[in-house]
Amino acid sequence: MSSQLSTLEPGAALSGKYLTFFLGAEEYGIAILKVREIIGIVPVTPVPGTPSFMQGVINLRGKIIPVIDLRAKFGMPTQAASRETCIIVVRRLDLELGIVVDAVSEVRNVAAAETDAMLDLGGEISAEYFLGISKADGKVRLLLDIDRILSTEDVLQLAKR
Amino acid sequence: MNKKASPAPLELGEIAVQLMQAQASETDALTELRDALGHCVDGEAGSASSPSVKRLVSAAKAKLDGLLSGEAADAEQALAAAVRLACLATSPEEPKAGEGDLEWEAAAPSPTSVAPSLAPGKPTLVPPDPDLELIGEFLTEANEHVVNAEAALLTLEQQPDDAAAVNTVFRAFHTVKGVSSMLGMTALAELAHHAESLLARIRDGEVRCTGVYANLCLRGIDLLKATLDAVQAQLKGQDAKLPAGYAELVHALQNPEAEAVAREREAAPAAAPPPAAAPPPAVAPPPAVAPLPEPGPVRAVLSAAAAPLAVGPAAAASGPVPVAALAAAPPSIEGEAPARAATSSAASQGDETSVRVRTDRLDRLIDMVGELVIAHSMLAADPRNDVSRDPELSRKVGHAGKIVRELQDMSMSLRMVPLRPTFQKLTRIVRDVAKKSDKLIQFVSTGDDTEIDRNMVDVIAEPLIHMVRNAADHGVESTAARVAAGKSPTGTVRLAAYHSGGSVVIDLSDDGGGLDRDRILAKATQKGLVDPNKSLSESEIYQLIFLPGFSTTENVTDISGRGVGMDVVRRNIEQLKGRIEITSERGKGTVFSIRLPLTLAITDGMIVRVGSERYIIPTVNIAVNFRPDASQVSTVAGRGELILLRGELIPLFRLHQLFKVSGAVTEVTRGLVVVLRDGVGSCGLLVDELLGQQQVVAKSLGAGVGKVAAVSGGAILGDGRVGLILDPGSLVTLAKESRAGRPQPEAVRHGVSPEPSPMVQA
Repeated sequence: MSSQLSTLEPGAALSGKYLTFFLGAEEYGIAILKVREIIGIVPVTPVPGTPSFMQGVINLRGKIIPVIDLRAKFGMPTQAASRETCIIVVRRLDLELGIVVDAVSEVRNVAAAETDAMLDLGGEISAEYFLGISKADGKVRLLLDIDRILSTEDVLQLAKR
Repeated sequence: MNKKASPAPLELGEIAVQLMQAQASETDALTELRDALGHCVDGEAGSASSPSVKRLVSAAKAKLDGLLSGEAADAEQALAAAVRLACLATSPEEPKAGEGDLEWEAAAPSPTSVAPSLAPGKPTLVPPDPDLELIGEFLTEANEHVVNAEAALLTLEQQPDDAAAVNTVFRAFHTVKGVSSMLGMTALAELAHHAESLLARIRDGEVRCTGVYANLCLRGIDLLKATLDAVQAQLKGQDAKLPAGYAELVHALQNPEAEAVAREREAAPAAAPPPAAAPPPAVAPPPAVAPLPEPGPVRAVLSAAAAPLAVGPAAAASGPVPVAALAAAPPSIEGEAPARAATSSAASQGDETSVRVRTDRLDRLIDMVGELVIAHSMLAADPRNDVSRDPELSRKVGHAGKIVRELQDMSMSLRMVPLRPTFQKLTRIVRDVAKKSDKLIQFVSTGDDTEIDRNMVDVIAEPLIHMVRNAADHGVESTAARVAAGKSPTGTVRLAAYHSGGSVVIDLSDDGGGLDRDRILAKATQKGLVDPNKSLSESEIYQLIFLPGFSTTENVTDISGRGVGMDVVRRNIEQLKGRIEITSERGKGTVFSIRLPLTLAITDGMIVRVGSERYIIPTVNIAVNFRPDASQVSTVAGRGELILLRGELIPLFRLHQLFKVSGAVTEVTRGLVVVLRDGVGSCGLLVDELLGQQQVVAKSLGAGVGKVAAVSGGAILGDGRVGLILDPGSLVTLAKESRAGRPQPEAVRHGVSPEPSPMVQA
């Protein structure tokens, strides 16, 4: 589900199943095929010398994976973990990492008809992280381009070995 | 042979292989094999198809019959002949038509007869349409065979009649020949074929594996190795050529006798040195030395093959003498050699019961077991698991714990491989150095079944090769000097591996002249590597030879020569979290003692707390830790801190500052100073407290994090959380950088240590 495709055929490439979750009151969606699993929040070990959105590393059944704080990534104020806080484990190529979100919501079928291309909101909000917007049931759900989030400059630099 | 008559008839090839491993005394197994051979000939399901194969099989069966009935004069010889016949029968090539008339029991039917159905003209390394997967597998297998064969050949040099060793070498060439010709790699096939022919003659007792023959065999192995490398290079897309000397050696292998003549003539004027002496006397008086034609008429082949040894004037003159010389040359090795032979044959048998597993699967398995251990310890630590509350549950948890621990031990042992192949290479190096420098050196290795982590093997091999070469080349004095010093003319280089206190120790000792500490010190002072006014202990002086600057001087080599590349040796060993120590006694010799952790996956670590964070410091890097007095700490220019410990000034760094941890102890006298040593220098690290020592499994922080300065990886602690393992080397770099006024996190992140730490398996 690359962004090139979505520009060619607006909407159509966006349809599919999404895992939706909350950051504050905002609802976001990640294509379900990118999601490996969802785990409850576990203690995160901070790693010195990494960017602020890199919250640290966790133990995922014996494997150490990095965890990013999506709030920090989007420049939202951070918030203490609650009972609902979750880590969504996503995978892109051999990069496996966790995303801390406030709460997961549901798995939704997004139809092409209900989606719009991402609007340019100007300012500091980078539209490049989003595939588009779903607006079914009178609610706005922002569809995340997880590949883009993971492949932006910072993360790429981190992945460089 | 442990197979009882199985319902399915054995394939001919399988019989041949089993025969090769059979002992003449194992009558049960041999009877079974004989019957199986009979089945091959008679049974309609038998695998013997063509008449010539049938004939060979029958001949082999007859040999076994003779052996089993006790008619054969020499059981070993009869078995060997049967093996050879069975092998011939399994060879993919059709025997030549003319061979029907042959008396197969003839003294020397070298398998030249199965000779190259190989295309004439230039042999090819890799066929135009290679089956990459098959060739890849073959290369792995062939390389293993080469290693085993090389070891066996060296055993043979000491004990030319060791049948097991001959078979090992034979099998190596035989396998390579069979598979490579099937895969169309004629270059390998041809070489292996001719070497095999020579080996067959040795195995049949026609010639002994000494002198020229032994050299030829070793050169054959070397060339085989080089050709295999060339094949590999070709597969990688490089334009590889046949290794140099290919044609020459293949020719020599075809006609060792002519080679012997040539060698003897060369050696004759220069009163041949004993170990490289002339070949042993012939079995029978020689017919004319006839050049061995390619796949020529069999009669001619036979006469040439039977031609025992060259009768150049020199060879005649040194007739029986060389044998005595050879027997005398490696004295007192007898106790060692049989043991080695036994282990090598055990190893080759062990190969057949092993399974190749991809390392990533293995690592994953080990991870999961590690996780199981943690999960179990969490369960065991649960307050509900209390003997007084629920003895039944407690008993069950305890039982599971035992199983988990055993599983963990076993999973750890999966990564371990014996040092044997590494040591075998070294045997060869000592031999070569000794020959080249005209010394008598005996190489004794013990404990080559000691196991270390497979990831460490490659890293340790290089330093060992270097040090063994040094020991043989410079450590052991020349024969004349030894005699003058009243020592045995034969020098000894001894390599011993053993376990000691959770580590593997490899001791390399020689009985040479020892290190000259005065000259080392003088040299180091002259080079400006040490302060001339400082008094150094003996071991400190010896450690000087590891300094990089020291190694570049060449005239140090005549002291005892350990100058070149010793810094690399130490670097590799330290990369493995190991240590190297030297003890030396003038005139008596030198001992290098290398101490390595059992495995890289497990780090012996000290867990320290800083604020609410825990870090793991590898124990090998910790010199000492103590709670400082205020009087011990002083500051420099208000920024840098120094700590005085037993008269030595050490820079002090605060871990909480480096890692920006809040809530940590900031008052030095209330914290704890851990003094780190990384080979270059020491530094003190301020932490809150020590939480204890623990063995941890080092892991990568995951592809997303990449490399982090001062952190070599992570480990999962007892409570399931991740603890970061500190890398003392880059920690010092980081600390110095931050003191240089670049304490920004970004600087931290990019101030990466230049080399990947071996501790973390990516």
